[in-house]
Amino acid sequence: MASAFSADVKMSIQPQLISLLDRAVLKVEFIDTTGAAIDFPEIDGLKIQYQGPSTETRIINLKSTRKVVHSYVVTPSKVGDFTIGPVTAKYKGGEKVLSGQLRVIKPEDDKDAQEISELMFSRITTDREAPHIYEPFGLTLKVYIRDGVQIDGNFGIRGGMPESGMDGELQWQVTNRKRQEMNGSIFNVYTLVTTAKTLTAGTFTFQPQVQMNIIVPRQNRRSYGFDDPFFGDFFGRQETRPFVLDCNKLDVEVRPVPMKGRPDSYTGGVGIFDFDVQVGPKKVKAGEPITVRMRIAGKGNIEKITPPLIENSHEFKLYDARTVATGNSDEVLFEQVLIPKSDSVTNVPEITFSYFNTKTTDFRTIKQGPFPVTVEDVPQQGAQVIATVPSTIQQGTTVLGRDIVYLKPMPRIWKTAADSAWYSKRLSRLLLGLPALFLLLISGIAARRNTLANNTALARRQKAPKAARKHIQRAEHALREKDSLAFHAALWDALTEYFGHRLNLPPGEVTQQAVCSRIPQEAETIGTLFETIEQQRYGFGESRNDEMKPLLKQLTATMRTCEKVKL
Amino acid sequence: MRLLSLILIALLPLPSLAFEDNFLNAQTAYDSGRYAEATLLYENMVSNGISNTEVYYNLANACFKDGDLPTAIQYYRIAWYNAPRDPDIRANLHFALNAAGAIDPAPGFIDRALFSLSVSEWIMVAIGSYLVLMLLLMLALFMKSTRRSILKLCLIPMAATLLAGAGWRQWYQLKSNPEWIVVKTEATALFGPIDNSTAHYKLPLGALVRQTGTDPKGWIEVEYDGKTGWLRRAYLERVSP
Repeated sequence: MASAFSADVKMSIQPQLISLLDRAVLKVEFIDTTGAAIDFPEIDGLKIQYQGPSTETRIINLKSTRKVVHSYVVTPSKVGDFTIGPVTAKYKGGEKVLSGQLRVIKPEDDKDAQEISELMFSRITTDREAPHIYEPFGLTLKVYIRDGVQIDGNFGIRGGMPESGMDGELQWQVTNRKRQEMNGSIFNVYTLVTTAKTLTAGTFTFQPQVQMNIIVPRQNRRSYGFDDPFFGDFFGRQETRPFVLDCNKLDVEVRPVPMKGRPDSYTGGVGIFDFDVQVGPKKVKAGEPITVRMRIAGKGNIEKITPPLIENSHEFKLYDARTVATGNSDEVLFEQVLIPKSDSVTNVPEITFSYFNTKTTDFRTIKQGPFPVTVEDVPQQGAQVIATVPSTIQQGTTVLGRDIVYLKPMPRIWKTAADSAWYSKRLSRLLLGLPALFLLLISGIAARRNTLANNTALARRQKAPKAARKHIQRAEHALREKDSLAFHAALWDALTEYFGHRLNLPPGEVTQQAVCSRIPQEAETIGTLFETIEQQRYGFGESRNDEMKPLLKQLTATMRTCEKVKL
Repeated sequence: MRLLSLILIALLPLPSLAFEDNFLNAQTAYDSGRYAEATLLYENMVSNGISNTEVYYNLANACFKDGDLPTAIQYYRIAWYNAPRDPDIRANLHFALNAAGAIDPAPGFIDRALFSLSVSEWIMVAIGSYLVLMLLLMLALFMKSTRRSILKLCLIPMAATLLAGAGWRQWYQLKSNPEWIVVKTEATALFGPIDNSTAHYKLPLGALVRQTGTDPKGWIEVEYDGKTGWLRRAYLERVSP
């Protein structure tokens, strides 16, 4: 099929007249050619967003045309006449300069608005000027919508939050809606609130991008003759359009917990807390566990607090503290088991909890104890310890994991990037190939043995040269000794044994006729050999050396030729 | 000649002693809260060619404590490549990703199983299975009476070799589809590889992403949290070798 059109590039904007709350679709079509998406330069008042490519193939009268269409959505942020381009579109076979016009007019229901930010915007504030690390602080986001602009009431926060250092994702909640007068206009104000907490100190910048959907009457849109394929339902009278609102930038300076005056018993608490300790049972035998329950409650980074330290004593065996789920996010319960080693223990030592008070901006220390206990002496206390410890740990406890695991010890062997693994070295690779080669060799030998055992003809065929060689050596020896009789007897043996094996003939059947009929191409030579040797063997008189040598040569040459003959 | 040999032998352990000193000094600096100094010392070891998992891990710890989350995550991941079953590395990587607000890559069951052994471990499995297979085949050649049973037994090393091949391929894919880490803030993956393309999703600093494609103009198509988008190369740093 031939192409109906020649290669071309076109740009279209539909519609070319829109209101401030509307948007247009820009298309760059590569007809019968291909080309990359165009990077449009920024235009003040317009936002051009690439949507992706699509392809279209048409066949008209057996002629095909193929289009690659790159689509963009053009969103205005102020009224005016805009020229998009000129931009150069490069395609296979050439390039073309493209440009287009777009007019943006004021929305029908608000003739004063020149820019979208006058109709809708958002503002973010905080309730704390300079909070401390881990200290929760409130963020309030107010969304202002000019009266008359309809929205569907759903808000989404699309980024604009600090990339790192925050403790979890912020969960925004709409708390209220009210009407407010600003600069002579009435706005509907939606208030969204959240609580933030940081894991590190420093400046945290908040500039949330609030996305919401405005509701535009479909009649308005149709009056522009616009048929938007992206938004709105086909039969509905209204349609929604997503918008991202402008917002101010809020920098929150988060202060670190000061090092100065930090007590040793500080375990990471930032906020305002109460501390309570319960110890039980109060009367135990040596080796039996005593459970210390430490409850910290209040407002702050409750989940970041590590257990207060119980002073380690030789009189006790201390187990790691565990957290126990309480179901209350404003409190944490630590449970720690300690086992008195002997009856000399009279009390559980004082337990100290220190935290950083965000209200007074200093460290506060709360002490509890010491707690008197009675310990009785018993024999075999070690066995009891092991048996009783698990029963004291309640179900639902979780092992603490609020910080990274500590450093690893020094390695025994230093590895460098230049050290290659033993298996990647050439010698190792060669050695690794040996088992496979060895296996191949062994299997080859085994297969050959197997074949020879099952195929007598082949076995004899392969035996033939060796058998002949043995007698030829005998003949050579006889030749040197000038023993004509022995020489011809050896030649006869070589001849009969060779052809016997070569043709798989029984010993009694190795005759001139049998051999010549099987190897007709060498029949004449073989026949002569049989006759000559037989005559000399049984004939009278001595053969001369100069007669025996050629005979031996002829025999070896014939056998060599017969080796190559295919039977 | 003998004297020269003795001098050479005496000099041989020197680099390792220097590494030990560096390692201990870094640990002391870390314990004293001088994390930047610890980071420098560990980095010095890495730049001198040391590739022990412990060094990468400790360097990541120092970076984490020093507040450099992307670098910490990068080194935790490198340590994880060498020792994928190490619980400390996994815990700290998870912790650091969590602190960065990034998602811990959660591969499926098969991928997880294939990543449970490092590439060198898979190669060792393959070599071991291959040697066992060769031995069994040789035995099968000689022991005719039990040949059938031995050949059946050969299925085990054959399966192990295939599994090792799959495991090795899984790691090898990191060369064609490497892992990157987001090293700049405000990283937004776009729908297309051009600047004015529609934003698809945001990527937090320190997020680990997997490359799915490239563009000659310096864009990389990345996958994060099951979504694919285009990001400028300048926002990323390669993690996998």
